[in-house]
Amino acid sequence: MAGTNRSTAKSLMSTIGSVKTGVILLIAVGVVAAAGTVILQRPMTEPEQMERAYSPQVLRVLDAVGLTDVYHTWWFIALLLAVAVSIVAASIERWPNAWRFYARPYRRPEPHFRAATKNKVEFPIIDPDTAIAAAERALRRQGLKPQRVIENEEVSLYAEKSRFSVFAVYIVHASLLLIFLGGIIDGVWGYKGYIRMTPGQELNTVDLRDKRQHTLPFTLRCDGTGQENHPDGTPKRWWSKMVVLDSGKETLNKTIEVNDPLTYKGVRFFQSSFGRSDEVIAMEMDAIPQTVSADKSEVAQIPGAEHVHFRLDTKKTAQIDADTTIRLLQFIPDFFVQDGQIFRRSNNLVNPALEFAVVSKGQEYKVWLFPNAGQSHNQSPFALDIRDAEFANYTGLQVAYEPGQWAVWAGCILMGLGLFVAFYMVHVRVWAQTVADGKGGLVLWVGAAANKNREMFEQRFKEVTQEIEKELKSSQPQATASAAAGK
Amino acid sequence: MGTQATRMKMEEPQSVSQGTPFLLVVGLSTVFALLLALMNVKSGPLFTEGNMLFATLIFYSAASALYIGFGVTGTARFAKFASAALALGFVMNTLAAGHRWSVAGRPPFASIYEMLLSFVWTVALLTLVTERKYGVKLIGSVTAPLAVVSVTLMQLLNSDVRPLVPALQSTWLHIHVTLAMLAYAACAMSFATALMFLIKDNIKSETLLALTSGSTSLIYAAIVATRFDGGALSVVGWDAENKQDAILQGGARLFVNIPELGWLFVLATLITAAPVVLYFVAKVQNKDNLLGVANTAIFISLAVQVLTLAAFFLRANGGAYPPADPLNSTVMEMMQNPAFRNGFPTALPASPFILSGMLSGIFASLLYLMLHWRRTGLENLLPSADTLDRVTYKTICVAFPLLTLMIASGAYWANQAWGTYWQWDPKETWAAITWLVYAGYLHMRLTRGWRGRRAAYFAILGFAVVMFTFFGVTYLLPGLHAYA
Repeated sequence: MAGTNRSTAKSLMSTIGSVKTGVILLIAVGVVAAAGTVILQRPMTEPEQMERAYSPQVLRVLDAVGLTDVYHTWWFIALLLAVAVSIVAASIERWPNAWRFYARPYRRPEPHFRAATKNKVEFPIIDPDTAIAAAERALRRQGLKPQRVIENEEVSLYAEKSRFSVFAVYIVHASLLLIFLGGIIDGVWGYKGYIRMTPGQELNTVDLRDKRQHTLPFTLRCDGTGQENHPDGTPKRWWSKMVVLDSGKETLNKTIEVNDPLTYKGVRFFQSSFGRSDEVIAMEMDAIPQTVSADKSEVAQIPGAEHVHFRLDTKKTAQIDADTTIRLLQFIPDFFVQDGQIFRRSNNLVNPALEFAVVSKGQEYKVWLFPNAGQSHNQSPFALDIRDAEFANYTGLQVAYEPGQWAVWAGCILMGLGLFVAFYMVHVRVWAQTVADGKGGLVLWVGAAANKNREMFEQRFKEVTQEIEKELKSSQPQATASAAAGK
Repeated sequence: MGTQATRMKMEEPQSVSQGTPFLLVVGLSTVFALLLALMNVKSGPLFTEGNMLFATLIFYSAASALYIGFGVTGTARFAKFASAALALGFVMNTLAAGHRWSVAGRPPFASIYEMLLSFVWTVALLTLVTERKYGVKLIGSVTAPLAVVSVTLMQLLNSDVRPLVPALQSTWLHIHVTLAMLAYAACAMSFATALMFLIKDNIKSETLLALTSGSTSLIYAAIVATRFDGGALSVVGWDAENKQDAILQGGARLFVNIPELGWLFVLATLITAAPVVLYFVAKVQNKDNLLGVANTAIFISLAVQVLTLAAFFLRANGGAYPPADPLNSTVMEMMQNPAFRNGFPTALPASPFILSGMLSGIFASLLYLMLHWRRTGLENLLPSADTLDRVTYKTICVAFPLLTLMIASGAYWANQAWGTYWQWDPKETWAAITWLVYAGYLHMRLTRGWRGRRAAYFAILGFAVVMFTFFGVTYLLPGLHAYA
């Protein structure tokens, strides 16, 4: 019973780990990923644009299947996980063989292996010991480190290079898994969002992409932001001076730019946009003396009276003349009127309303200006006109918390190494052995194998054998001589 | 490799003086083109980037003509002169790129124009190297026309040295793009050797006929699908004053309709598709005589392509045409302007991709005809099928790590600039798909022992995906890589 279970598990494993499964999964990932580039994706497209591009029925189907946000659907993630599982299964399947190959190198070729080896040469010799010694010297000179293998009192040579390159495939596959792991960690614990700040503002919440908000464990303050241009007017550089306030203390100060983010507690802030906000910081204004009728129903300008030009800082009080001051009470970027009351419609600068307090000779007047409508409600001694307004700049920052990115980068580096080993490191094996030539004599059999780049290796093998031949020639006569002397 | 070269020499027993008239024609027209170009340089310095690029184009064209001549006739001298022309073009290309580098103060990788400049440079270099090292002289007959199409395209693209937008100001840009160019050039090489493998491997001529006709008609079908508008062809308007595409408010491009041209493109689609249709009919009904008809159809297809190109040249170069979207408010406003009473202007530079698509189709048909005429001769010029198979595999072994590093460096840079290493933007996704295709190739080859024809088809598919990632994504699927 247990036996059949094990064999079912084994066959399941080999199915999951087969190259066929792997390639089918890769094709599926490719097709789905390609679909995601052709169909508009919700996270990157405005809802109105989606509605314009697809009819309601089509859009409903696409949404239901998840094709409008392919890369975040459960089934796409499941597909990627299936790829990972297939890689793991394949690695487990193949590991015993690879390990056996690595741990127990084949040091002494048997006759059938010698016959099957493609790269081989035989040199006739007289004395096995001198021949082996000569071959050993030659191999060493060629940069190979031969070991002596002694079996049944016979000595043979075995030399190899880059044996570990048999693991290259494992390195590459492990690196891919590491990258997946990083992606999963970031998907689960990481977040990405956006903040928009104007100088002076403090903030500790981030707007996430899915419209939720995330509260940072610290507070961020913007101390200034700006843009520098190229001579042709296109932007050259955006910068923002940021301060991190952690438990009430200024802990970090940094001017960030594009490609130079601020990192604090693993959260990174990237300069991503810059522009004019709808927040007014100062106005250039004109004040024209006027008279107000006793019942306050009519207002008339005083003929010949001089215009007073002044600048009003929105956070300060300005002087119109010796007796009169003015300050801004409220600024509504987009207003509407209902039941005689003024309300805010939106935060976009569409149809602004401004309320001022004008204090003249001890009396305070509330003044409303509606610049777009060209209207006002003003019974103060001065008619007011806005000539120009200065807006605060805002800085747009991308916020990213990616605790898994170390795994991604480690994976990338590992993959680079793995691919290098896989494609450019050659496992070379050379054997030298004395064998009977079948005619009563002896030969030195030299054979070699390489696991890739075989043409280059043939050349190399030729060099090695030439070296051995030379060494044999120079040592053999002496060997014969000494052997003769010994007799 | 050395034995390969010697065998090549032994197989070319032609006399030394063969083919002199053709050499004279190509040589004289090169000189003539250079002189003509020189006469056009009325004032201003001679060694500007534009002039050097033009010289590059002339030399690459001469090289293409000679390589194809070599392919058709097998005359060894043609190959020698072709290499020389390619080398001269390469020198000019290097000067143009160097000039741009020194003017911009940064390597030329910022716009699609600059990327092509670097791409062509890499392709020419690799061709010269492969030729020397492996003796595959015929490779130029694929890569030299590719270079000509690219440089022609560059002549039409905006080549102003523009400052980099903030997101592109990073050392990673150079690393990323260098890797991309090297990887894509290696992919192009593997494509060329895979094609040659198919030729050497006795693939039936008609299969190549079907491939050529199918891909050409696909180009025209794509143009018709996106640009056909009630018989007219919509092309982008041209703003001659600013030398750029006519842009409406909000960044959309202004399209104008060239009347009747749309029908011509429909005709071209049908006629270029005729050989592949005939091929399938012949296969299904087992009528081999239809294949002969298909071969004749390729000639007609080539003639129609040239005609369409000529018509496009005449119609789209200058002239004023009605807007494609006359109800657009900005367009209506612009039509009040008396300058646009007769319509809006367009120019060839506004349609670089239509043009290069058409040119590629013509080159593909010419290459097929070369093959059709000189099948046996060509096969003798090629190294053994085994060598070509191995060279294809080796170039992919170079391309794949480069692709990996390109994606990794892009991810790292995106992480620096935008705070995300991966956000499934179309270019990223397609780069990953390219990677997957080549990963599939390697798996099939290494574990399943795929060799020869199937591997060659895989390599060709890989390069098709590369081309789509490089051009298709930029123009069809806009995203973050909008800069290039």
